Amino acid sequence: MPDATGHVGAGVEAALAGAGQARGARPGLGEQLRWFVVRQPLGAAGAVVVLALVLTAIFAPALAPHGPKDTAFAPYVPPGAEFLMGTDHLGRDMLSRVVWGARLSLYVGITSVLFGVTVGALWGIVTAYFGGVSDSASQRVVDSLMALPPIILALALMAALGQSITNVIIALAVLLLPTAARTMRSVVLSIKEIPYVEAARAAGASEWRVIFRHVTPNTLATYIVMFTVNIAYAIVVEAALSFLGLGAPPDEPSWGGMLTAGTQALETAPWMIFFPGLAISLTVFGLNLLGDSIRDLTDPRLRGGLG
Amino acid sequence: MHQYAARRLLLFVPSLLGASLLIFVLLRLVPGDIAEIIVYQAGAESASVQKRQVQEIRAELGLDRPIAVQYLVWLGNALQGDFGHSYIQQRPVTEIVRERFPRSLELASLTLVVAVVWAVPLGVISAVRQNTWADYAVRVVSISGLSLPIFFTGVLILWALVRFFRWLPPLEFVSFLDDPVENLKQLAFPTLAQAYYISAPIMRLTRSQMLEVVRQDYVRTARAKGLAERAVVYRHALSNSLLPVVTFVGWWGGRLLGGIVIMEIIFAVPGMGTALVQAVSNRDYPTVQAIVFVMALVFLTLNLVVDLVYGWLDPRIRYA
Repeated sequence: MPDATGHVGAGVEAALAGAGQARGARPGLGEQLRWFVVRQPLGAAGAVVVLALVLTAIFAPALAPHGPKDTAFAPYVPPGAEFLMGTDHLGRDMLSRVVWGARLSLYVGITSVLFGVTVGALWGIVTAYFGGVSDSASQRVVDSLMALPPIILALALMAALGQSITNVIIALAVLLLPTAARTMRSVVLSIKEIPYVEAARAAGASEWRVIFRHVTPNTLATYIVMFTVNIAYAIVVEAALSFLGLGAPPDEPSWGGMLTAGTQALETAPWMIFFPGLAISLTVFGLNLLGDSIRDLTDPRLRGGLG
Repeated sequence: MHQYAARRLLLFVPSLLGASLLIFVLLRLVPGDIAEIIVYQAGAESASVQKRQVQEIRAELGLDRPIAVQYLVWLGNALQGDFGHSYIQQRPVTEIVRERFPRSLELASLTLVVAVVWAVPLGVISAVRQNTWADYAVRVVSISGLSLPIFFTGVLILWALVRFFRWLPPLEFVSFLDDPVENLKQLAFPTLAQAYYISAPIMRLTRSQMLEVVRQDYVRTARAKGLAERAVVYRHALSNSLLPVVTFVGWWGGRLLGGIVIMEIIFAVPGMGTALVQAVSNRDYPTVQAIVFVMALVFLTLNLVVDLVYGWLDPRIRYA
């Protein structure tokens, strides 16, 4: 962030804090939002994009004029009044597919990150807390997973699992596991040296109670950052897998799959690549802006971490 | 340095073994009989021929033996350069790897060289002329490069080539040794597409590194003793921008390899990536296994080299 925004932000923060103190209460939601917009203008722009994406995904059935798999129309109709984004090679309405694509992307992105990051985080927390053999053994597993370039690992997983949306989610979750485990491990290694953990243990708390009541809550900031940053990543990898023809099955409205179909008809129907491509780019851009600002807000030390 | 190198080398072997074991077990977890899948994928023989082939494949892969033995046999053969037989392509997998590997290596090296050649100077300009229009232009270009997913950039370039230049990806691959000009023509576009994508982080790293360096005392000393600005920037400050490039390869090595797969598919380069994608969709497991193994080997080697170079460039790391 440039210095200028930092200063403005600090000023507003002080002003808001003053206002809050005057009334003897925490700033309200509206004030907090305004503070976020001033402090992180790019993040706020990202949040608007992400909100639009979420709304599109939720209301896809209402927003899409036709079914995403409806092949009832003429193929290769250019964008116009009847079909705002044209139709594809099978005569499906591109607008409907792009809209439903938001739902698919978000569904795959959120579920895979939910599974991958959560399991990875718990794995990292437990092994780091107990240390010793289980820790070094788990570190070797993490090393092995990280020895494979991400897309290659995902392709190998798809080869083993077969092509379906559920399997894409599983593959993405496995991809996210090792980084989440490693990041969480390093966080817990420092947390468990803090005296309150020792105090809890001295007070007679069981190991699991210490882990879940005392250690885990303090990893929440890291978890939230990993979560937001990796959704964009998961969405891109899903699109990449579908683009390579090995992710979502071809009839599913995946933006990556639509791009592949578009490359077969570059000259006749370039709109088949523009709209899904723009949808992915905008989504990733918005999520990255939002993720970056959440990262800056929660913990400056995490800058330049998970990519 | 020797001690550091030895320690780093010791991490290499278990990671490679772990990765190969992982892939091996993974591909054995495939639901159904792998031998039958391979045979039915391979094609339209009569039922009796298929039955015999299933028996042959079972014997060759040693499917009747415990999985640990299967793995050790596979690993032993792989280390001697024998990756088994591709039933889909009807030839040894090693032959496929030997044919495809140099092409992907060429594409990856060209990409990295082109990206560095244009990104480092632009990063330097952007830092030296901080907050001028040149700086803003470079930063906008690099941020836009980061936001567009690489497969979209690739497809857009392909579209532009088809639309405005009537260029189509060639059907035959020409090797550099046979016809260097034709070969470079074929690889030019995938190289440029990916170089644009990966130049963004290199530019940003170079810029931030330079911004830090130009404020250092030794740069001020160089200016104070009357050196020309050009000498200060290139001789004194720039030598430190080697580090970001190395950092980049360390961070983005995996994405570089993944990007190669995507570029090969878009621009029809018959390399390791195309072979892997084909093998995955044909369920040609021996080939998948071999290519993933080679990719892991390359990736780990890349990381090893990066760490060693880093240790060599920056003595603080060796002793950490």
